[in-house]
Amino acid sequence: MLQFAEFILKRAGLAVVTLVIVSFIVFSLMEMVPGNCAERYLAFKNTQGEQITVQDIKAEEARLGLDRPFVVRWGSWLANVFFRGDFGDSCILRVNINQLLGQKMWLSIGICFTALLLAYVIAIPIGIISASSRSPVLNNSLRLLSYLGLAMPNFLLALMIMLFSTVVFGDSLTGLFSKEYRDAPWSVDRIIDFLSRACLPIFILGWSATAFALQTVRALMSDENGKLYVTAARARGIRGGRLLWRYPARHALGPIVNSVGFDLNRVFNELPIVAIILTLTEAGALLLEALARSNDQQLAGAIIFMLTASIVALNFMSDVLLALLDPRVRSGVMGRAQA
Amino acid sequence: MATPLISVQDLTVQFRTDEGLVTAVDGVNFEIGAGEVLGLVGESGSGKSVTAKSLMQLNGGNTLYGEESRIRFQDDENDIDVLSLRKPKDLVPVRGGLVSMIFQEPMASFAPAITIGDQMVEQLRLHTNMNKAEAKEHAIEMLAKVGISDAARRFGQYAFEFSGGMRQRAMIAMALSTQPKLLIADEPTTALDVTIQAQVLDLMRDLVAEFGMAILFITHDLGVIAQTADRVAVMYLGKTVETGTVHEVIRRPAHPYTSGLLNALPKLEALDEPLTAVPGDIPSPLDRPSGCVFHTRCPKVVPGICDSRMPTPTSLDGGQQAACFALEAGL
Repeated sequence: MLQFAEFILKRAGLAVVTLVIVSFIVFSLMEMVPGNCAERYLAFKNTQGEQITVQDIKAEEARLGLDRPFVVRWGSWLANVFFRGDFGDSCILRVNINQLLGQKMWLSIGICFTALLLAYVIAIPIGIISASSRSPVLNNSLRLLSYLGLAMPNFLLALMIMLFSTVVFGDSLTGLFSKEYRDAPWSVDRIIDFLSRACLPIFILGWSATAFALQTVRALMSDENGKLYVTAARARGIRGGRLLWRYPARHALGPIVNSVGFDLNRVFNELPIVAIILTLTEAGALLLEALARSNDQQLAGAIIFMLTASIVALNFMSDVLLALLDPRVRSGVMGRAQA
Repeated sequence: MATPLISVQDLTVQFRTDEGLVTAVDGVNFEIGAGEVLGLVGESGSGKSVTAKSLMQLNGGNTLYGEESRIRFQDDENDIDVLSLRKPKDLVPVRGGLVSMIFQEPMASFAPAITIGDQMVEQLRLHTNMNKAEAKEHAIEMLAKVGISDAARRFGQYAFEFSGGMRQRAMIAMALSTQPKLLIADEPTTALDVTIQAQVLDLMRDLVAEFGMAILFITHDLGVIAQTADRVAVMYLGKTVETGTVHEVIRRPAHPYTSGLLNALPKLEALDEPLTAVPGDIPSPLDRPSGCVFHTRCPKVVPGICDSRMPTPTSLDGGQQAACFALEAGL
């Protein structure tokens, strides 16, 4: 027990170290883009018709602290992020990034998480059962469905649903809130309204994620089903649900648990396109905007950092879960002391 | 012989595959008496494992058993026609209760993420009236009995924490824990070092004497058979070509295939002589030879007879039987 706590602490420490390294990479990337924040902002003002002098740039650099060495600036950025959760101001928009991102980041991550959760809740039991069933009808219809899910692009599905809802309900179901709730304060009605809207992107993202997970679970399960220990368990008289869940299913779950972080990243990457079609204001779309259009490195850095942080957190959780599930992993990470 | 414990009559096993029906076992007959050890010998692909698994209907879902095939299990309390059991529930008393099986790969036959003890207790609770504590106590006793030291601690460990020989011991302990009437041992020593092999064989012999159960011992190694079995059945491509007591069959093999197998064994007293292999490969079960299945590799093949007609078993002295035209013709 003590060893397990030690393992969790060590692994958490490792996650923090990973985050520091990630922050350094993100910060360096922000730094490598030509021109610093002061120049970029003033260049932006220039396009608005203001005359800019070198003195203006110098003054702005001093105001933003850009005249300090790189490592000092990284250190203070990191300290602000870690201890105050403050990402500083957006370079171009001159607004605090926390305010700008605010709910959007949580909405994005929330949508991705829910889509992923939905995918697992559907794919794991169905994948396990279908891999163990010999019904050709069940297997072929599942295969067809998951090929549809894998082959059909998310944006196409989103467009089809919008077209359908516009024709049938006369409402395009875009946005995260209906008109009347868009600027209303949070209330029970607003939450219900939000959920009724959010289920659309969740469904669209969950659709392909489910198809992907279903294929993986099926393949893993077929593999486990063919193993000798399953035959040996049958030879001992174990049968039915007990045989299925305690033996192959339990052993097939390891690789799934292992890939949760990777799956979240994949879903997040798919979110912006869906978000653009459904006109959701979420962080992925903001990231594209910041990277591609306004060249707002501070904002892009903050989004990338937060996404990476959630993946690191998920990987940490999946490592702990894996150690709980599989004694071989457990003894590997904790040494053979308990053996 | 009195009523045999297990009698296998005309066992035919076919598999439905994408290439069509594949015959793995073709009209096999044998009997095993209570407390008797029958060795089942043959190369890979001869159908010995499929035959053994049929005793518990363990073959996959694409298996077809012959209509005339009977596997009958008889003792004082039971009279079961195994192949007539259709529901998995009805098979439970046979699987792991009356019949236990140990496999070639002891590592792969334990579930990797469940402790050895849990798997033993699970089987005991399924087949006996023991409660959890009694089952645990009995399992630890069994582990100690097969020579695993510190059995109480080993009870809580996983297969990957055991050495190869220890795993097979644990497998034997688990198999015997429910006091089955028949133990099927499918190449139980093939994956082990020779020294460990000898230990495991000794252990099995002792336990047979103690528990008085019958064993179906499957192997490709006639040396191991000579050590362990009372009688032997030699299989080739799904058919039994020769049966008899171990002494008779090994001293005076009647079938050319049995002689071939015996000649292929390395001999310590004649190290410089080349080994005599049985020529050729075992044919694909998809493309079974006509007539006697062995005629494509047989040194005594009689053209025109062996490749067109099926030989029937000829009885020899001492209950030995072999199916061969050359034997019938006195060649």
